[in-house]
Amino acid sequence: MTINTLSQDGVQRQQMPCLTKMERMIISMQDPDMGIKLRNQRLLITVIPHAMTGLDIVEWLIKKCSISDEEALHVGQLFVKYGYIYPLKEPRNLILKADDSSYRFQTPYYWMSTRWPASELDYAIYLAKKNIRKQGELIEYEKECYNALHKRINHTWDFVVMQAREQLRASKQRRKGDRIVLECQEQAYWLVNRPPVSPEHYKLTTLTKNTIAMISLARNRVKSSICLESYVKYCEQYQPHDPIMQGCLPSNPWITDDIMFWNMNSETVALPTKLRVERWSFSFMELLNDQMGRKEFLTYLEKEFSGTHTQINESIHNPYKQQFLAPGASRWVNIDSKTMEKTLEGLKRPHRFVLDDAQMHIYFLMKKDSYPRYLKSELYKNLLARAIVPQETKKSVFPFMRRQRHSSPSPALATQTAEDDGKAKYSNSNSGTASRL
Amino acid sequence: KPECCCLSASTGNMDGEEFTMLDALNKVTACYRHLVIALGSTSDSQNLREELKKTRNKAQELAVANRTKLTALLKDKNISKDDRAEYERLWVLFTSSVELLEVDMKRSLEIGQDFPLKVPTRHLIQTGMTGSTTTVAARAMSVQNMKYEADANIDTVDLKELETEIAQVDQMMEEMEMKVQVAPWAVEAKQEAGAELKSTVSVGNSSVGVISICEEEPKETVEGETGLMKVFAGIIFTGVLLIAGILGYLVVNL
Repeated sequence: MTINTLSQDGVQRQQMPCLTKMERMIISMQDPDMGIKLRNQRLLITVIPHAMTGLDIVEWLIKKCSISDEEALHVGQLFVKYGYIYPLKEPRNLILKADDSSYRFQTPYYWMSTRWPASELDYAIYLAKKNIRKQGELIEYEKECYNALHKRINHTWDFVVMQAREQLRASKQRRKGDRIVLECQEQAYWLVNRPPVSPEHYKLTTLTKNTIAMISLARNRVKSSICLESYVKYCEQYQPHDPIMQGCLPSNPWITDDIMFWNMNSETVALPTKLRVERWSFSFMELLNDQMGRKEFLTYLEKEFSGTHTQINESIHNPYKQQFLAPGASRWVNIDSKTMEKTLEGLKRPHRFVLDDAQMHIYFLMKKDSYPRYLKSELYKNLLARAIVPQETKKSVFPFMRRQRHSSPSPALATQTAEDDGKAKYSNSNSGTASRL
Repeated sequence: KPECCCLSASTGNMDGEEFTMLDALNKVTACYRHLVIALGSTSDSQNLREELKKTRNKAQELAVANRTKLTALLKDKNISKDDRAEYERLWVLFTSSVELLEVDMKRSLEIGQDFPLKVPTRHLIQTGMTGSTTTVAARAMSVQNMKYEADANIDTVDLKELETEIAQVDQMMEEMEMKVQVAPWAVEAKQEAGAELKSTVSVGNSSVGVISICEEEPKETVEGETGLMKVFAGIIFTGVLLIAGILGYLVVNL
């Protein structure tokens, strides 16, 4: 029964699948032959039909789904919890009891729905109606909700009052039994969708909501002009490295089927490309993310220091760092006394994150200190000078000598290749003529 | 403590023709919601579907009339500040009503599709409601009795129309938002919290419901329909009179 409503705000919302399943079950319970046995509910003078006992529900579930007692009770609980069935004797107690306590089905309009969440306006109207009926004697939490709503949707409060009065007048048109059912239905709906909270809990939730709101207001904001400046800088910096914007040398493997580009940029190549080496100077993370860059950096550090930092670099990716920090350990580490104290504390009761402070300290040390020095070092500069700039593969002058392009066996591209070939030949012949000139 | 001032005239928070139209729209919206609640339940029937159709058509007529009137009022540049504030308040009332109506129309489409009537085994939800909704519809249409003249397949045919009407209402609301610049949050309600406890009643329209607002809501365990009781009493009284008459005649003749 997942029927898509006409889009609201252009968004098609679907009913949650579990709710759809529950709806289907409820409908099968209505079957005149195979459904649940229904009885009459006798109030003093009025008799209202279509009541069932908890035991009936559980038995029906056992028979229909061939499940155990316990499971049937649990499934039945779900129906009550989500408001498809509501109890008649103790409406505020949304529990299914497998005895002779009576329940009734909820009307489809009041079914739990992700497509139609309960709105504040409706709740306000309901409370106003209740206020009229009970002549001002609302329960504590309802009074609080009422006042809160009065503040929040004050601009439509006149509408709330008007609508509450009219809805009451409309229901007066029905006969007594139906009126009682209507009231019970609506009450059950709101008990499910706006469950009563204890006053302390209510205050706590409002307090947390307020603090969250204040925190988000106090959050640091950056001016968009500054943001955009750094964004532009970033784009400018990375543009030569973007294969789509700048094209890639020697050639784009996806187009020419020539994998030289990947080979030249693999992790184990002897000489890196110039672009790659330049990229290491953008940020520390760029350097670390590139396998080759990391190796180079390590070599540099080994040259500079006696090897402690290099080991720590490895340890960033290695969880077993015990050997480093215990006093008298085989390898010492340069961290400040405060961090050392904290870490040693933590080691007494070791947990996963005990070395994180030390790690953080070393990371920043390297970023602020060693990394800039590496970029200024001879090692880096030499590498940059030696780095290769691949040549763009020459397109052969004669079109029929050029390697055929292999397009993927996709029907969409089959027609494209014919076009592409035509275009390429045209541009080739152009460059051909230019080179001849 | 509220007094039972059922027959008093409406208090002056709103008056004039604008309010009567808005009041009417409000009433029809409330009735429409009442009818949609019955959809899919054992109160559902061909008649209910027809009532829904007629009620929502009436609601749409009223909505259009209200919109024309209010837009004209709000577009007028020469109104005083107070007047403008008042019309903006009426505008917010109007838009809230139309929003409610729109949601109910969409829901009635959904539930109507889920619960067709002309199927071999109907699976209407047995909610305990078995009475008819004809009086509610009569109230919405401001008639004494509803006349039913629809075809037997109204439950499917009407849904198509409903879809188009929903689209129309959506479009109307969009236009309203574009054309009329009223900030809803800036409007201040005239009614304070708890205002509904003072029983003010609008004049005219269906006196049947008027009196009952001031009554204490009867508790479940107490009494039944007062109307029925009166009829019973009348019958018993007539019966007693008859018996007395017969006895008298017999006494005289024997």
